[in-house]
Amino acid sequence: MFRSFGKLFFILAAAAVFAMPAARADDQVKIGLLFDVTGPVANFVPPMLDAAKLVVDQVNAQGGILGGKQLATVVADTQGAPQTAVDAANKLVNAEHVPIVVGPLLSGTVLASAQSVIIPAGVVQISPSATTPAVTTLKDHDWVFRVVPSDAYQGPVLAKLLIDKGLKRVALTYANNDYAVGIAGTFRAAYKKLGGVLSADLQHDEKKTTFRTELATLAKNKPEALVLIAFAGASGVTIVKEALEGGFFTQFVGTDSLRDKVLIEQVGEQNLKGIFFTSPSSPPGTPSMDAFEKAYSAAFQTTKDKLFIQQVYDATFLAALAIQKAGSLDRKKIRAALRQVSGPGGEIVGPGDWKKAVDLIAAGRKIDYQGASGDCNFDKSGDVAGVIGHFVIENGSFKQVGIVTP
Amino acid sequence: MDTGMILYLLSLATMTGLYAILTLGLNLQWGFAGMFNAGIAGFFAIGAYATSILTTPPAEDRFGGFDLPIPLGLAAGVLLSAVLGYAIARICLRLKSDYLAIATIGIAEILRLILRNEAWMTGGNRGIAGIPRPFEDMEQPWGELCFLLLVAGIVVVLYVAIERAWHSPWGRVMRAIRENEEAAEAAGKDVVAFRAHVFSLGAAVMGLAGGLMAHYLKFIGPDATEPILTTFLAWVMLIAGGSGNNRGAVLGAGVIWVIWSGTELLTQRLPPDWQTRSSYIRVFLIGLLLQIVLQRFSHGLLPERPPRPPESDSG
Repeated sequence: MFRSFGKLFFILAAAAVFAMPAARADDQVKIGLLFDVTGPVANFVPPMLDAAKLVVDQVNAQGGILGGKQLATVVADTQGAPQTAVDAANKLVNAEHVPIVVGPLLSGTVLASAQSVIIPAGVVQISPSATTPAVTTLKDHDWVFRVVPSDAYQGPVLAKLLIDKGLKRVALTYANNDYAVGIAGTFRAAYKKLGGVLSADLQHDEKKTTFRTELATLAKNKPEALVLIAFAGASGVTIVKEALEGGFFTQFVGTDSLRDKVLIEQVGEQNLKGIFFTSPSSPPGTPSMDAFEKAYSAAFQTTKDKLFIQQVYDATFLAALAIQKAGSLDRKKIRAALRQVSGPGGEIVGPGDWKKAVDLIAAGRKIDYQGASGDCNFDKSGDVAGVIGHFVIENGSFKQVGIVTP
Repeated sequence: MDTGMILYLLSLATMTGLYAILTLGLNLQWGFAGMFNAGIAGFFAIGAYATSILTTPPAEDRFGGFDLPIPLGLAAGVLLSAVLGYAIARICLRLKSDYLAIATIGIAEILRLILRNEAWMTGGNRGIAGIPRPFEDMEQPWGELCFLLLVAGIVVVLYVAIERAWHSPWGRVMRAIRENEEAAEAAGKDVVAFRAHVFSLGAAVMGLAGGLMAHYLKFIGPDATEPILTTFLAWVMLIAGGSGNNRGAVLGAGVIWVIWSGTELLTQRLPPDWQTRSSYIRVFLIGLLLQIVLQRFSHGLLPERPPRPPESDSG
């Protein structure tokens, strides 16, 4: 009896699973959300799903998509691991037939799902938060996009800032972690291209307790400054301290990893004259940002302490715009359309301006979506330029004195 | 059925095949020899990383990228896992079952941490992308189908080979050791050597599963070797399918993976208001279904059937 019940249960469950995808609603347009809902970043995901829901509600309240159809999303969970990410992407792309995918969030799940499923199937994928430089170099035939700048983006910006400041011969040292190695690599290439000379180029072990030997090597040939890519709390502060004590360097340049209160507290502002930093920053109070802030807070209380909600909103909104522009669920047309709605160039559309965008598209006008997270203009590898600020120390704290573009 | 659904079913079958290989490896160690290996993730990772490093195109930011042919990469992974399995076996096999389990957990974790932290070799947290997959240049769904056939072929070859070993005198010694070590020893069998062999063999098969998985995913990172999707899953598959039974191992892999993957097709159909919760409901559903399978079939879907001794009239 139990045995037959068990069998029946399995047969029914299997039948239900495979029969259900047949029941697809034709009056709905579904965007696939491939998110790492469970797994290592589970805590961050619920507010992000809210951000995607905000797009859906706005679109449906302003007349729907593709001539009055309802926009909807369908979530697939990568569980934060490559195996399950590939499986989840398969379900979205092949079983659910979504025309476009937003996500995943982690670099590993993006790389696995993109290479194994999404690129071969030919579907546009927009990641809100994967920052690994490997996404840039994927052979993706223009299917993979992201609305967050690559870790590597800061390197060229840093190079540009140094040249602008007249520092043409510097020593470089960077910690042995993913972050520092990545930035150092792109900085090195860009700096040399701009005519800069690296008098020394040295990776250091961030777990060491003293760096005097390294500093002696770095200070040879009298470079004009020390470019230090390391976390203040790990090797950063120690290197600055020992460089000052030993008289190796007086001019330092750092990235966001060194832009840490600890540096000022332990070294003292008076010893850090002339130091400057590059660091990812947000565009100061753009109308797009304010519009998102207001809409999100009205629906979900607050945007405070919620990570990457702006990027999720932008990615989802861009996905909807691309479908509307393509005028169909044709995946190839959507790929072409995405670049026509994201800019640069065209009428400016911001978060929540769905009706306006639909009218502009109907009138055959080009659109430039200005997102909550930045201008969302994709370069040829599908990356966005981040907003990188130029920071100095003033009155015991860090102050942004400008935005640097490479 | 449209092409999309066929592609999904192909992926379901391919993953089942890959896990079936992993489960067959575990069946060699646990089902045959009664050796509790809780460090499957380690052997899986060795196989995956070895072939990834050897077969990817040259990379700037890490060691390797030798662009070697895929069979060579897989062979290296298998060999490395086997050697490592043998070494671990020689060190740990004098330990009794539960101590062996603890030792293997420890060694697997050490391996995993090395792979995660030695970024010059493995890409660290960034992992290795751009791993080639056999037949990937073919049109969809033919490339996917060919890869599935390759995996299925390997499962069949392994199954036949292990079945033959199971019925051979070697297999009988293994079962004798599993059931009563002292008796086997008293009968003049070199227990430690036999156990080292089978442990190493099982490790090699697990390495093969890891290598094939890396080629299938086209990406390998530390998250892919998390114990939940390797060690834990292989154990559930083997126990649900029936340890000591190779057909059960393959069936278990299929049933468990279909539950793992298919539940999402159900939860995706929940009303939109439930969407933020659907993934958690799915995890609950997976747990519930595993409970049902394990409770209902406590000896596995296909329990072990020891081969009968040949009918003889000598008695």
